[in-house]
Amino acid sequence: MEEPNPKQRATRHEAAPARRFVGPVVILVLAFASAVVYAAWPVRRPPGFHVWTFARLHHQIYVPIAEQWNLTHTPKVNLTLLSLPALEQRMLSAFLARTTSAELIEVERRAAARAFVGPLDAVGFVDLTDRIRAEKLDINPASFSPWTARGRIFGLPHDVHPVMLGYRADLVEAAGIDVSRIETWDDFFNVLRPLMDERDEEGLPKHYLLNFWDTPVHGEVVELLILQAGGALFDERGQPTLDRATNAHVLATLVSWRVGPRRVVADAPYFSASGNKLLLEGRVVASFVPDWMCNIWRFEIPQLAGKVKLMPLPAWARGGRRTSVWGGTMLGISRSATDIDGLWTFAKRLYLSRDAAHELYTRGDIITPVRSFWDDPIYDKPDPFFSGQAKGRAYIDLASQVPIRSNSPYGTLAMTEVQNALIALVAYAQRSKRYAADELTGEAARLLGLAQARVAARVARNVFLAAEPLSADVRESTP
Amino acid sequence: MRAAPGVSNSRAAWLLLAPFLVIFAVFYAYPLVRSVLLAFQQTFGPGSSRFVGLGNFRFLLSDSLFWTALWNTIVFTCGSVFIQLPLALGLALLLNRPRVRGRALFRTILFAPALVGVVFVAMMFGVIFEKRTGLLNLFLHQMFGWNLDFPWLETYVMPALILAALWQYVGFNMVYFLAALQNVPAELLEAARIDGAGSWKRFLHVVLPAIRPVGAFVVLLSIIGSFQLFELPYIMLNSTAGAENRGLTVVMYLYQTGFQIGDLGYASTIAWVLAILLIGCAAAMRALWTTEAES
Amino acid sequence: MSAARVQGALRAASVYAALSISSALILTPLAWLVCASLKRNEDFFNSLFLPAGDGLLGVAWNRLTLHHFYRLFAELGIGRALLNSVFLSSITALLATLFAAMGGYALARLRFRGRRQIDWLVLAVIVIPPPLLLAPTFQLLFQLHLLDTMAGLILPACAPAFGVYLFRQAALGSIPGELLEAARLDGCGEVRTFFAIGLPLVMPMAAAFLLITFLGMWNNYIGPQVVLQSPQRFPLAVAVAQLRGVYYQDYGLLMAGTLVSIAPVLLLFLILQRDFVSGLTSGAVKG
Repeated sequence: MEEPNPKQRATRHEAAPARRFVGPVVILVLAFASAVVYAAWPVRRPPGFHVWTFARLHHQIYVPIAEQWNLTHTPKVNLTLLSLPALEQRMLSAFLARTTSAELIEVERRAAARAFVGPLDAVGFVDLTDRIRAEKLDINPASFSPWTARGRIFGLPHDVHPVMLGYRADLVEAAGIDVSRIETWDDFFNVLRPLMDERDEEGLPKHYLLNFWDTPVHGEVVELLILQAGGALFDERGQPTLDRATNAHVLATLVSWRVGPRRVVADAPYFSASGNKLLLEGRVVASFVPDWMCNIWRFEIPQLAGKVKLMPLPAWARGGRRTSVWGGTMLGISRSATDIDGLWTFAKRLYLSRDAAHELYTRGDIITPVRSFWDDPIYDKPDPFFSGQAKGRAYIDLASQVPIRSNSPYGTLAMTEVQNALIALVAYAQRSKRYAADELTGEAARLLGLAQARVAARVARNVFLAAEPLSADVRESTP
Repeated sequence: MRAAPGVSNSRAAWLLLAPFLVIFAVFYAYPLVRSVLLAFQQTFGPGSSRFVGLGNFRFLLSDSLFWTALWNTIVFTCGSVFIQLPLALGLALLLNRPRVRGRALFRTILFAPALVGVVFVAMMFGVIFEKRTGLLNLFLHQMFGWNLDFPWLETYVMPALILAALWQYVGFNMVYFLAALQNVPAELLEAARIDGAGSWKRFLHVVLPAIRPVGAFVVLLSIIGSFQLFELPYIMLNSTAGAENRGLTVVMYLYQTGFQIGDLGYASTIAWVLAILLIGCAAAMRALWTTEAES
Repeated sequence: MSAARVQGALRAASVYAALSISSALILTPLAWLVCASLKRNEDFFNSLFLPAGDGLLGVAWNRLTLHHFYRLFAELGIGRALLNSVFLSSITALLATLFAAMGGYALARLRFRGRRQIDWLVLAVIVIPPPLLLAPTFQLLFQLHLLDTMAGLILPACAPAFGVYLFRQAALGSIPGELLEAARLDGCGEVRTFFAIGLPLVMPMAAAFLLITFLGMWNNYIGPQVVLQSPQRFPLAVAVAQLRGVYYQDYGLLMAGTLVSIAPVLLLFLILQRDFVSGLTSGAVKG
């Protein structure tokens, strides 16, 4: 390109002198102004303890406790309600970067496990084992399992979360069916089968017997059923055990409920408006109800009041476990905190006080893990929503049967693999027209074997877990 | 510091280059070297690390999550290049026609989405793509009786991502094409018209070759950008990889590995594989282009 | 009318139709965003855009609300996030542009040993994909105690190789060698020459690059997400993304937050778009 002479070039640029400076001037002004404001408005962490929680219910219960504390104690407590993904993200971020986050963090099972994936000295929570043992309170042992790593306890347990079946007592009793005879899953389907005789305009059953499907929404139900049956995804040493025979048996049975002309289950997705509507219509007669689900029903589907009752889960074999577990929350003290004793005192108020336990049940229907408080008469009060059942006591009676939950950081991965195996098994059953559980066990075992290999490969390559001596039986570590 | 003409003035040059070079050395060169080292380590956050030799690479070969991520990323890249770019070119051709009134306005409107950050595009489209209640399904249902429950965010994540990326960048790419089209020598076009070539022939034999350099640049830019897809699916799927990992991309997997699980080492391994793929792509494109230009 | 004119008119009409439809499709999500941020949550799914009612044009104007914006600023501290975004973006833009201009000028107009190597280095660096540097930079910032600081975000962004390349091209194209010779003969030092003559002559490129960098930092999510821990330091991209819940979404709030985040930049750039576009394309078309 020919270079025009410099004077021409210079004048051409002179021709639009002001315009080309507008942008830079704007940015300059913004920079200066924002720097001034930024300097004058420093980022200051409000003094005192920071307590993070993610559940609105918990937040509501803690606010009065915090206010009480702030009247008589320093440092003051700052309660913050965060959304679960935000809380998880910030907690993990702070742990990895070893910066300060909140002093007390209430965290849900899956997120807590992530803190355990590295070396023990990098776990972001304070080791509470000795403090808990020094307490004279009697706490449900199984409640500690998800928060225990390598034999040390890193969080105060929030709950027990036993699971029962919530069923449409109005439909069942109208058909003259007596559910007290039900002991096993086979009993359950046999006894309730007459309810499927009622048909809709297309000739399909109006009511299915159980709320279950092979979509991720029901993923936790798969796990709770595996645990109920005596299966497990991890052993006490944190090693994956996806390919256990019991697991395959459970998967095969679930698929036999789901496929073929003798299907007995239908999909009423949890936590959705459409699922709630289906429950009301009676599309499914029974649904899985841990103690916290009672609260969701109470507020999200009030029209169910007086129509439902609870019964223990039917066992997988006669004399077997009549309950399982779903969910879990803990309260942990951040390792970067300074006043551990003060924090421990406040944590005990939130979790180990009679008042908090009482509120937890009255507002949230949740059973406290502190056995010493189970004598509270509130648990025996008949609940009109559940047709007058003393449901608190019913859940408490099942507490001793609640299975151990794993603490493995690979829990989510394992569950996803099992979920995918379930979906594959459903497809297999539909393709090969094999609908009975014993016909499907072989394929289930094969699919779980592949899943096991994948999870085991990941667990095995974790040098931090391998480097430290794995814990003894988790049960031994609980007081 | 003054120098006679023709004499080198190193001191001034190095002084002017100093800020860039210092920051470059600290925040580019050093991390680059570290990333090579990291690829042979396993970490839990930046505070704990162990050397694992080739363990990361060996694991990568059998890591089904990585291969799923890579596949998804490739599908998205192809979608971006083969769907979005022709549309951008088409729009540029339309805008380039002589006597189009309001050209500046159209250009502004079509370009505007490029200014919206990916995060915000993802937030918007995360709601627009929802089943039953999202703008897209509702609109299509009213217009064409489209299935109201069409699962954009579950089974059809990839088309949804391609659509969202298209909305955001088609105007951006169009602007590049427009600039290139406006630089096509008018005499060549005129000559072709006089020779009796129809508009399609003119396009193929005059316009396309003339805009090839810019076209190659745009394609390369598009490939590089698409390969690094992360925030769009991550935010749209609410910080997850979606059902059956359909929304998992290589950089998302990198992020989850490094900043949620804490293994910065394996994350670096993944990053290096990505970098090598991209550099290979760029080199291949360059080679293809230069040989074609020579022929 | 002759057949050719009819054909011509039809062709023109179809061009306008295509352009208009495209523009409408592009604008629709933005229009929806504005409507969504003004609707109450109860009304959110009752209508596609504005709630229907008895008001003008069949719209229930009285059902619109500014409550979401109020909540954002009064309860959720979006004002702070806005400040953080402006601060981060403008400071980064200024520093990055300055350093890139200085470097590009030196490479283009000064002769010195090592120039070819630096040239080559700049081109090579452009090829490095940013995700590669994410993990080791995080580690480095951790060791430098720069995590959870604004400096930790700003500094790494101040060495833009692409910027150096662009300014090198601009300096080659816009700064006549004779002008610089004249300055040197007058006894002007090289650095002074840059600031007095060189920089003003590449100002169009500087304006464009300032805007590009500003935009890049404004919309940056992964950087602040990884580096920053304290919520008071979050810029808009991170703050708004964290408004989402798992089982329940406050749609109106989310969309209002999104609008607050994109409106300033859209406005800024609609005014300054010519510079932005010219800067973007100069690298491709001329270079």
